[in-house]
Amino acid sequence: MTDFIQLLVAGISIGSIYAMTAIGFVLLWQTSNTINFAQGEFVVLPAFAMVLFLTVFRWPFAAALLATVLVSTLLLGFLVKEVLVARLLEAGVLPLVIATIGLSLLIRYSLQYFWTPLALPFPPVFSRVPIRLGTIVLSWEELMNVLLVGIVIGALQLFITRTKLGWAMQAVAQNRTLATVLGIDVSRLVTLTFVLNAALAAVAAILIAPVYLVKYDIGIGLGLKAFYAAIIGGFNQIRGALLGGLLVGVVETLAAAYLSSQFRDAFALVILIAVLLLKPEGIWGVKEEWSS
Amino acid sequence: MALLEVHDIHAGYGKMEILKGVSLRVETGQVVSIIGPNGAGKSTVFKTLFGLLPVRQGHVRFAGEDVTNEPPAALLGRGLAYVPQGRNVFPLMTVEENLRLGAYIRPRSAELDREVERVYDTFPMLREARRKRAADLSGGQQQMLEMGRALLLRPRLMLLDEPTLGLAPRVFREIFRIIEDLRRLGQTILMVEQNAAKALEISDYAYVLELGLNRFEGSGEAIRNDERIRRLYLGR
Repeated sequence: MTDFIQLLVAGISIGSIYAMTAIGFVLLWQTSNTINFAQGEFVVLPAFAMVLFLTVFRWPFAAALLATVLVSTLLLGFLVKEVLVARLLEAGVLPLVIATIGLSLLIRYSLQYFWTPLALPFPPVFSRVPIRLGTIVLSWEELMNVLLVGIVIGALQLFITRTKLGWAMQAVAQNRTLATVLGIDVSRLVTLTFVLNAALAAVAAILIAPVYLVKYDIGIGLGLKAFYAAIIGGFNQIRGALLGGLLVGVVETLAAAYLSSQFRDAFALVILIAVLLLKPEGIWGVKEEWSS
Repeated sequence: MALLEVHDIHAGYGKMEILKGVSLRVETGQVVSIIGPNGAGKSTVFKTLFGLLPVRQGHVRFAGEDVTNEPPAALLGRGLAYVPQGRNVFPLMTVEENLRLGAYIRPRSAELDREVERVYDTFPMLREARRKRAADLSGGQQQMLEMGRALLLRPRLMLLDEPTLGLAPRVFREIFRIIEDLRRLGQTILMVEQNAAKALEISDYAYVLELGLNRFEGSGEAIRNDERIRRLYLGR
């Protein structure tokens, strides 16, 4: 039982990071019809930036964090939208998909070539002293991951449901043409979404870096798992991505411990296939038959 | 001075030219209809007027100012509202949210709240359904929602594209009753309607388009009684 609770918390912790990355997927898909196959690299790049600011420049943590979010939102949010997406959006879904695959390769192998093919250690963000609750041992890292992700997603949800700009974002997601007809600046909202996604990715980077170490290729697995999570939960629902992320995290952690650690990465696929067979729109997804 | 003056506009998609020189005039307070067979370019006129398709040649004047190729947001600000053809709602939002998004370019205010109430007075069906998701509305209710949404912009001119397309006869009559009410209240309307005979009954003026060109024009009554038009477009 003790093991189970510890594993559950670890699963929720890693799952919350998947969830945050998956939510970015959903946001981009909804407002700009972009399936971002560079999502994993969108997390890796800020992780490297954080290493740069923290261990090379030796900036204090808060300054490094701020700089990382800034770099991420500028490069991966603003620049990607203006240079890549703005030009390809009209051409449909597929050219953008190919472009994001290209972008992921560019980021991944540039980091390997120009920086390092090795794994870089990442200084622990939270205290390494374990928390003991009776026989259960938890880490600050796990608890803080869940807490921080909860705060970020909560804030995002408030923004989307309570502000006029957030409403406009939903409007663009549900009916793009109509949004234009009502005077909503769709292009500006797409930019906003890319910036939000980049900010989410930067936070995910800082949380996942101490778990995985910082290496140029960790984005492959992370990006895929976030993608599975989004599909499992429902690609057109933020709450779906949240559920999908947590589910993937918990199932793979438990299955790795109790079934086979070699097949750790395969369990997400098992859920994915099951969901696609039984409820293709995702557990919490909405069928899009009404969209034109 | 006409509220809307469209002079010899040309527009289309890619190499295909749909409008090959269309001219229209709408005076304040009028209901004006555009009729014509499928493929005449009726809906394309609206898309072009509203800045969704570029005007390749010709010009559009609204309230005396040249608005050719202005983007939708600017036109909305000038008092031009557009109710597109087909289901055009935000399906996962409630009726009330849909209405308020119609007034997106207006700041939130007590006045806006009163106008939302007035829309509910005009469309009591919407008041009952205010907490329902737009996706769960019937076709007629959705159409009313779209018209109510446009009214929240207090438009000087309302563009109605096929307001009764695919609606049951009872709802059809209801929509027309509302258009007549709006007309009595002084709302200027330019509309495209597949039921030309009915549209002409309530129109001050009408244009007949064919293959992207003006073919006939005249008062609603004159067009309705014109033998050639009867034979060609009204099917009797």
